[in-house]
Amino acid sequence: MDLDFITQSLVIGLTENAPLVLAAIGFALLYKLTGLINVAYSETITLGAYFGMWLNTTYGLDFYTVLIPTGLLAGLLSVATYLAIFRPAKRRNVGGLEMIIISFGLSIFLRHGLQFVFGYPVRFYDVPPPDTIMVLGVGVTSFRLLAVVSVAVLSVLLWVFIQRSRYGLQIRALANDENLAKVSGIRPLVVTTLIWFIAGVAGGLAGAFYGVGANVSPLLGWRQFLLILMVALVGGSWGLGGVILVGVGTSVALAAMALQFDQTLYAQLVLIVAFIVVLKVRGTRLTETAKV
Amino acid sequence: MVAELVDAVAPTRPRIRVQGVVKSFSGRVVVDVDDIVLGEQPIEGLIGPNGAGKTTLMRMIMHSTPLDRGRISLLPAGGGEVVLSGLPAHRMARHGVVKSNQVIMDFDKLTIWDSLLLAAAETRYEQPHRIFSERTVFAKHEDEIRTYLDYFGFADPTGFALSAGEKKLLDIVRCLLLRPTFLLLDEPTAGLPAELTEKVMTVIRDLAAAGTSVVIVEHDLNVIWSLCDVVHFMAEGSVILNGDPQSIRANRTVVEKYLGEGHV
Amino acid sequence: MNLDWLDAFLITGLFQVVMVTGLALLLHLQLGLARIANFGVVGFWGLGMYVFGVLYVQVDWPFGEPFQFLVCAAAAALVAGVAGLLVGWLIADLDTDGVLVGTLGFATAVQILAITQDDLTGGARGMGGLGFPYDIGKVKENELLWLMIMTVVVVAIFFYAWRVHRSPYGRLLVAVGGNEALARSLGKSTFRTKLWLFAVGSAGMGLIGAMNGVMARYLDVGSLGVGVTLAAMVGLILGGTARVWGAVVGVILTVGLFDIVVQSYLPLPEEWYSQALPVLREAAFGLTLMLVLLFRPLGLLGDMRRDKLMGKIHGR
Repeated sequence: MDLDFITQSLVIGLTENAPLVLAAIGFALLYKLTGLINVAYSETITLGAYFGMWLNTTYGLDFYTVLIPTGLLAGLLSVATYLAIFRPAKRRNVGGLEMIIISFGLSIFLRHGLQFVFGYPVRFYDVPPPDTIMVLGVGVTSFRLLAVVSVAVLSVLLWVFIQRSRYGLQIRALANDENLAKVSGIRPLVVTTLIWFIAGVAGGLAGAFYGVGANVSPLLGWRQFLLILMVALVGGSWGLGGVILVGVGTSVALAAMALQFDQTLYAQLVLIVAFIVVLKVRGTRLTETAKV
Repeated sequence: MVAELVDAVAPTRPRIRVQGVVKSFSGRVVVDVDDIVLGEQPIEGLIGPNGAGKTTLMRMIMHSTPLDRGRISLLPAGGGEVVLSGLPAHRMARHGVVKSNQVIMDFDKLTIWDSLLLAAAETRYEQPHRIFSERTVFAKHEDEIRTYLDYFGFADPTGFALSAGEKKLLDIVRCLLLRPTFLLLDEPTAGLPAELTEKVMTVIRDLAAAGTSVVIVEHDLNVIWSLCDVVHFMAEGSVILNGDPQSIRANRTVVEKYLGEGHV
Repeated sequence: MNLDWLDAFLITGLFQVVMVTGLALLLHLQLGLARIANFGVVGFWGLGMYVFGVLYVQVDWPFGEPFQFLVCAAAAALVAGVAGLLVGWLIADLDTDGVLVGTLGFATAVQILAITQDDLTGGARGMGGLGFPYDIGKVKENELLWLMIMTVVVVAIFFYAWRVHRSPYGRLLVAVGGNEALARSLGKSTFRTKLWLFAVGSAGMGLIGAMNGVMARYLDVGSLGVGVTLAAMVGLILGGTARVWGAVVGVILTVGLFDIVVQSYLPLPEEWYSQALPVLREAAFGLTLMLVLLFRPLGLLGDMRRDKLMGKIHGR
C-alpha cells in the first residue's frame, strides 16, 4: 500500500464524506438523547439541500451566505416534526416499533411531498465553480474544504456545549432519567426541542454540503441514511467522540475502497456487511435487568 | 385431586447449588452468595427485606439475569450435575426448573386457554408446518388444564385474565403445567384473596410431597411459617441465616433487620 | 375469448393488489404476530425475482415449460428462504433498532448487488427475456391467466396465515411478539422460532417476486427500492396488523385505490400519470402510515379477538 493511496484515501475520504460525519453526529444526538431512530432524519438532510438551493437560486446568494439560514430552516423543520408528530405520538404511548414506522412514514411523505413544492426534476445550486486547493498533493474544492472545517468546528462546539454548558447538562440529565430531571426543574419540552433543533441544523448543513457538491434530488438524504444509521449505532456506544471516530473511519474506508474497486457501490456493500457483523458480535442491547 | 396430576414427577428430590455467585448493577453489589444448596427440604422459604436480592438471585438461577461470577448447578434427583449458569434461559424448563414471576407477567393478547395450552404444548407441535395440530394438542392437555381451571375457579377461560390476581394465578398454573421438578415461586400469593392463597398452598404441599423441590420467596410470613420446612434469610445480597421457621422467627438479627419487634 | 372490454391496466392493477396482499400477509406473520420489524421485504422479493430471472434467461434448460418456470421459481424461493435464514439468524436476538439495520441493510445489499453484477442482471439497463410458462393467445389473455394463478397462490398464503392463527404455532408467535422473555421462561426457543418464521416468510416473498418477474417480463433494478416494502407495510398497517384480513382490506384500500381506481377510473389530466400520481401515491402512503399509527394503531380491523376464536374452536 503506497503513500499516495493512503493520502488520497485520507484527503478524499475526509473532504467528500465530511457531511456524513456531521449528519451522523446529528442523528446520534437525537438517538442517544431521545431513544428514537428517526428515519425521517434523512429528509432533514435532503430538505437542507433543497433549502440552500432555493435560497441560493431565488435570492442569488452565494453558498457561504446561505449556510446559516439553511441550517436554521432545517432546525425549525426538525422541531416542527417533533411538535407535530413525535411528541403527540409519545403522549399517546406509541411503542418503539410503531415510532420507527411512523418516522418511516414521515420520511416517505416528506421525500415525495417536497416534489410538489420544489418540482420533480433534479435541481442544482447556482454557484460558480469552486477553487481547487491542493492538500497533500490531492486537489480539493473549496466547498469540500469548508465542509471539513465546518464539521470539525461544529463537532467541537457541540461537544463543548453538551459536556460543559448549562443546557448541555440539562440535556444529559433528561436523557438519563426523565422523571428525576423534571423534579430537578428541568423543562423537558424546552430541552427536547433544543435537541431536535440542533440535530436538524446538523442534518440540514450536511445536506447543503452534499447538494452543492453534486445535485439536489429527493433521494439525496435517503441514499446516505443506512450508513448514517450504522455509524451512529456502532459509534454511538462510545459517545459523541465515538461517532466522530467511526464516522471518520468510515469516510476514509469508503474513499479507499472506491479507489481500489473503482466503484463506490462495492465500498458501501462491504461497509454494510462489516457494520452488521460488528452489531451482531457486540450482541443484543437487551438490558441486564431481565423481567422474568 | 391435584396430587394425582403431579405424580408424574421424579420420586427423589433435586437440589440447586449456588456457588460464589456475584451480581452488580451500576457498581452496586446486589447479590453475593458464597455457597448454599437449595432443595434439601421439600419446601424452603427465602425471606428478607426489600432490596435484599431475593428476586435477582432467583432470576440468576433461571439465567434470565447473567452472573458476573460464580456458578449455579442443578443436582437432579437421579444424580449428575447440570450447570444452569451455562444454559440459555429457555432450556431451564427442559430440566424441570421453573419460576413464577413476582412482577405481573402476562401475554396481553392471549386468552386463559391460550396461555395454558402454550405452556403445556410440546415443541414438536409448534412448528411452521403443523397448522392442523390444535385439536391434537387440545385433546392431550384438556383434562389436566380443566382440572386446574376448575380448582382455581377461572370463570371464563375463553376470555382474558383481567385482574392482577387472575394473572398471578395464571402465571402459577403455567408453571405447574410445565411439570417442574424444581419450582421457584416469587411472591406467589401477593394480591390473592385468602381462599385462593389456601388453594395455592395446598397445591404446593401436594407438589412437594410428590417429590418436587419448592423454594418460595414471600413477604406474607404466615405462608412461610406454615408451609416451609427450612427458611433462608437474605439481607444486602447474601444469605446470612438458615434454619427451621421457629428459630428464624426468634432470631435477633432477623427481627431487627426485617420482622420488627411486633411480629414475634 | 374476446377481452377487448378488459382494460390492460386493470389486469396489471389487480395483479399489483394481489401481489402486495401476498407480501402483506407474510409480513403480518412477522410484524403483526411476532413483532419483527421487517424493513427488508423488497430485498427477499427482489432476490427471488432476480434469481428467477437470471436462471430463467441465462441457463440453457434441457426441458421446456412449465418445468423451466417451476424449477427456476423453486430455486428462487429456496435462495430467498436461505437468505431469510441468514438474515433471521442475524436479527433474531437483536432489538428493534438492530432488526431495522439488519433488514434494511439486507435490502440495500440486494439492490447494490443487482446493480453491480450487471453482466448477470443487466444492471441499470434492465433484463428482459422472461415470459409466461404457457401461451394461450394474446398478451392480455396470458396476463389474465397469470393473474388468476397468482390469485390462487395468494389465497393459499391467506389460508396458511388463517390456519396459523388457529394452531399452536400461531399461539407461540403471538407469545413471542407479546412477551418474548416470558415465552422463553416457558421453555420456548424463541430464537429458533423467529429464525424459521423469517426463513419461511422470505421464501414466500421470493416466490412472489419470481411470479412478479414473469408478469413484468422485464426486470429493472429501480423496483428494488423501498417502494414494495412501503406498499406491503402501509396495506398491513391500515387494514390492521393483528388480523389476517387486515392485510387484504388494507392493500385493497391503498394499492387498490391508486393502481386500479385512480389509474383506470378517475378522469384525470393526462400529464399527471407520469409523475404527479406516482409521487402522490407514495406521499399518501407515508401520510397514511403516520395517521393510522397515531390515531388507530391497530388499523381498521382492530385487535385480534382470541376470546371469540377460543370460544369457537374449543367451546366453553
